[in-house]
Amino acid sequence: MDTLLSVENLSVSFKTDEGVITPVQGVSFTVARGKTLGLVGESGSGKSVSTKALMRLLPGSATIAPEAKMHYLDKHDKLIEIEKLKGKGAPIRALRGGEIGMIFQEPMASFSPVYTIGNQMIEAIRLHKKLGKREARAHAIEMLDKVGISNPQARVDQYPHEMSGGMRQRAMIALALSAGPALLIADEPTTALDVTIQAQVLELMSDLQKDLGMGMIFITHDLGVIAQIADEVAVMYLGTIVERGPTRDVIHNPAHPYTVGLLEAIPSLDRLDERLKPVPGDIPSPNERPQGCPFQTRCQHVVDGLCNQTAPLETPLAAGHSVRCWLHDEKGKSAA
Amino acid sequence: MSYHSHDTLIEVKNLEVHFPIKTKSLFRTKVVPLRAVDGVTFNIKRGETVGLVGESGSGKTTVGRAILRAIDPTAGTVVFHTPDDQDVDVTGLEGDALRAFRQKMNLVFKAGPVQLSNLSGDMLRQFRPRMSLVFQDPYSSLNPRMTVRDIIAEPLVASGMMKDRDQIDTRVREIAGRCKLNLEHLRRFPHAFSGGQRQRICIARALVSKPDFVVCDESVSALDVSIQAEIVNLLKDLQDEMGVAFLFIAHDLSVVAQISHRVAVLYVGKFMEYAPTRSLFFTPRHPYTHALMSAIPQVEPDHHLDPIKLTGEIPNPLAAPTGCRFHTRCPFAKPRCASDTPDWREIAPEHFVACHFADDFDFSRAAPQ
Repeated sequence: MDTLLSVENLSVSFKTDEGVITPVQGVSFTVARGKTLGLVGESGSGKSVSTKALMRLLPGSATIAPEAKMHYLDKHDKLIEIEKLKGKGAPIRALRGGEIGMIFQEPMASFSPVYTIGNQMIEAIRLHKKLGKREARAHAIEMLDKVGISNPQARVDQYPHEMSGGMRQRAMIALALSAGPALLIADEPTTALDVTIQAQVLELMSDLQKDLGMGMIFITHDLGVIAQIADEVAVMYLGTIVERGPTRDVIHNPAHPYTVGLLEAIPSLDRLDERLKPVPGDIPSPNERPQGCPFQTRCQHVVDGLCNQTAPLETPLAAGHSVRCWLHDEKGKSAA
Repeated sequence: MSYHSHDTLIEVKNLEVHFPIKTKSLFRTKVVPLRAVDGVTFNIKRGETVGLVGESGSGKTTVGRAILRAIDPTAGTVVFHTPDDQDVDVTGLEGDALRAFRQKMNLVFKAGPVQLSNLSGDMLRQFRPRMSLVFQDPYSSLNPRMTVRDIIAEPLVASGMMKDRDQIDTRVREIAGRCKLNLEHLRRFPHAFSGGQRQRICIARALVSKPDFVVCDESVSALDVSIQAEIVNLLKDLQDEMGVAFLFIAHDLSVVAQISHRVAVLYVGKFMEYAPTRSLFFTPRHPYTHALMSAIPQVEPDHHLDPIKLTGEIPNPLAAPTGCRFHTRCPFAKPRCASDTPDWREIAPEHFVACHFADDFDFSRAAPQ
């Protein structure tokens, strides 16, 4: 497999007034060229923090554990060890935007309101490509056209507030793609959009991905969206990937009790008369991380003396499908 | 429609809400009305949930707020039927009795239907506890400097419904318990709570005055699926216990289907379709409803989403299309659609639609058993 990015053992801690918290603990995943990895989890599960660590966009109070490895193969097949880069300076700036593009959830908050869309795109393009102002503008118009914005010649001179939500999100995608990144990180890009617009944006993103052969990390809490767009999925809970594998496998044969719970909690038109089944209990706060398996406080299959003592290791199930749960481990099976 | 039947709680007729928009040109400023809601007619029964769906900018929130009189309607009527038609002879009351009567504002309105759209000032304030609102964002809708107890008690205090501290405390504890809040946490401030717990506080605040009607404006949209399921279950339970009616505004269609008895589809300020949930989702009659349904993502990797392509963006309500509002994006539009506004008609019992050609379409999908 043509691996574009491989992350191993990523842990991120923050210093807070209540002590050190670790919202991401020992996360490993890979993204292949031209494929999409979906990251699912509740808020506070560490989805955004782990991708921000990749871009080295974490605030000063955060530290990335020294054993973490974030290896990225750039456009010239040169291996970049992101964990060794300095947070400032030319190498990381070339990576941000140029190699790895990012789309945020709220398109209004990620554009500057006082510059036109074109202005902001031209700035990004000229930062990464050796183009003159006029050429950069032409490229910006071309990108706007590519993401399906009608009349791009006029739209390029508009301010973000003059566009509708769906159009702003398209402009955001155009901006993220304008410097031609090889990997795109999309952080809940469709959560704030209406279903009709969401369907359009999802289709647009998978089309563009095919055209450009980009790798993509798609963060969302909506498993319906994951089912549509992701090749592989990683389910996060309290900063740990509890299950990962090909999307079809994980959705059809979920192995971790948390994945099962998430799938059952989704309202479906096929089950209109049934009561919804929430995952019982609340997600613990990051400074009250339970001992052993992070999910043991809410799990209905807890094996006493095992799950609440030792954290389970990753157990392979099928090709590319693995789970962190004692129920699928020999030791756990014999105990249960 | 079963107008004037005794189980109708709210009757909305030809509701219009216009916002004046200033448009500037070089030499003059013109004021143009933005027709956010443009002639909406429907009713809500006692104890039922009506879902309201539509794209952003379609006027969902404005409909909800106009019913609550948080925004003044430009035209049309909103009539609120009170539970018992017990007449109170106000002229016969004197002194303390009259004062007591005024404080128990509920009594004032027990004399038959109330035309909400005509109320103002004190009368409106006295009516407020009868209806309530749950907002989308549980973070910005709670005052960070008030304790949870004070937040939940505020509707009682603000309306003057209750004055006695112990009485208020009892009511707050009762409703907080029903909303599954830990009673020991009532003295805490909102920052100590998670998103789901905050939304439960908002619901407790909305229900503390035992209203007949609550507008839930995108109340579960910002929550994770699991918490969303919890809140939907909680709202259903509270409805069973208290008989409150909900207007449930959301853009997530599967959640709306789960909680609503009937669902209305709004497009640029007008209703396109209004029907019982199953009819609307499995036998929609309007092309717009059909397009919305086809765009719901399914949690099934083998099911390839094939949304009906709606060309272009939702039109600007300042320049709303003539005739049928949807004709500019409708895949089935005919010349007549651009000139004639379709009537709001009952195509099947309880199933209302505004489309000239609704009889010709068969959008029914396999309804699962």
